Amino acid sequence: MKTTMQKKVIVIPCSGIGKALGSVSREATYEVVESLRKGVTDTTCLALITSGDEETLQLVKTNKCITVDGCPLQCAEKNLKLAGGELAASFRVVDTLKENRKLKPKSVTFLDRDGQELASLLAKRVAEKVDELLK
Amino acid sequence: MVDLPEKKVGIISCSGEACVEGTISRVATRLVLEKLRPEETVTICLPLFLAGGKEERAFAKCYPTITVDGCDKLCAKTATERYSGKPASSIVITDLTRNPGCSRSGRRKLDSGALGLAEKAAERIAKEVDGVLDHWR
Amino acid sequence: MSEYLSTTFDKFELRVRTGYYYTEDGLWISMEEGRVRVGVSDYVQRTGGDVAFVELLKPGSTVERQGEFGTLETAKTTVSLLSPMSGTVEEANGRLVEKPELVNSDPYGEGWLVTLAPRKLENELKTLMSADGYFELMLKKLETEHEKLEVR
Repeated sequence: MKTTMQKKVIVIPCSGIGKALGSVSREATYEVVESLRKGVTDTTCLALITSGDEETLQLVKTNKCITVDGCPLQCAEKNLKLAGGELAASFRVVDTLKENRKLKPKSVTFLDRDGQELASLLAKRVAEKVDELLK
Repeated sequence: MVDLPEKKVGIISCSGEACVEGTISRVATRLVLEKLRPEETVTICLPLFLAGGKEERAFAKCYPTITVDGCDKLCAKTATERYSGKPASSIVITDLTRNPGCSRSGRRKLDSGALGLAEKAAERIAKEVDGVLDHWR
Repeated sequence: MSEYLSTTFDKFELRVRTGYYYTEDGLWISMEEGRVRVGVSDYVQRTGGDVAFVELLKPGSTVERQGEFGTLETAKTTVSLLSPMSGTVEEANGRLVEKPELVNSDPYGEGWLVTLAPRKLENELKTLMSADGYFELMLKKLETEHEKLEVR
C-alpha cells in the first residue's frame, strides 16, 4: 500500500550569530518544532537552502514554510524567497520585542532569561500560525 | 576613503539548526569571539553573508577567514569560496566528533559532552586564528 | 567634498555626514530654510542596536538645548535623545512609528527624527562640532568603547 508523506510546516530561523535576536529566532524555532508542534513541523538550515542542496530545496518547495528572522534585515525570508521556497508566513523577533518592551536579551551565545521568555512568546505565535496553515 | 582595520580574522560559522553539530559550531565560534581571541576575530553572519550583506562580503574579501561547518555539506566554506574567496582554514565539527553523520539529538541545548566538544573546537579555531595571523605577519 | 567621512572598524563602515553639525552624544543637525533637521549618527545607531521604538515630542512642543526630545528604544537599551538646539518641534518623523529600523538603515536620510524651529540658532551653533570634529571624536570612542559595537 502506498503511503503518502505527511505534510509538515517547515520553520526556518535566521540564526544570526552576531545578535541576541538571532539566538532568540533559533530558540523560538526549536520550541515550536521540538515541543509545541512536534510531529507536524520541522526545521532546516538556511544555509542549505541558499547553497542549493537538492533535498532541502525539495523540502521547502513542497511544504509550507514559516521564516523567523531576528531583525529587520530578514535574511531568512529573503533567502527563502530567492530560492523559490513556499513562504507562507514570516515573523520577526523584533516585532515581539516591540510588544514586550521589558524583555531585552543581553547575551548571544547562551540566551538569558529575557531571551528565553521572548523566544517562548514568539514560539506561541508561530505555533498558532502553524495550526492555521495545517487546516 | 575607507581605512582598512588592523589585522583580524573573520570566522564564518554554519550555525545550522538541523543538527547538534551546527549548534556546536555556533557555540565554538562565539567562545572564540568572546573569550579566546576577542581582539583578533570578527564574526561574519552567514545568513547575512548569503543574503548579500555588503560589510560581511567586503570583510571576507579583504581579510583572512576561517570557516566552521557542522557537517560535510560545508555550507560556510562553500559560501565563502563563492562570494569572497578561499578561506585560510576550514574546520568541520563532524571531523572532530568522528561520527559519520550529524545528529538531531541535543541540538537545542548542548549537554555537557557536546559543550566540552564545543570548547575543544573553540581551542582548535583559536589555534588556527594564531596560525593565520602569524602567516599574515 | 566627499559626502561622508568614513572609517572601518572590524567589518563595519562608520560614516559621518559632511556639512552637518554634531553634539558629542552623536546627534546631528542639518540646516534648512528657517529650520534644522535632527537625527542620530551612524555611530549612535550602530552602538545602540536595532531600533524597536522611537518616541518623539509632538509638533508644537518646545525643547531646550540638551533637553530630552525623545527616546530610541533598541533591542539592547534605551537611548535618550538630547536636543542639539533650543526650539519648537515642527515635525516628528511619522514613518518611524511603523519603520523604526530606518534609524539603523539610513540614519542621515530617511531615519531623521524631528525638525526644529530654532530659537537661538547663531549662539547654539557655536556649541556644536563640525563633521571633522565629530569624526575625530568618533575615532577616539572606537578605541575605548568598541565592545558596544554590534555585531561581534
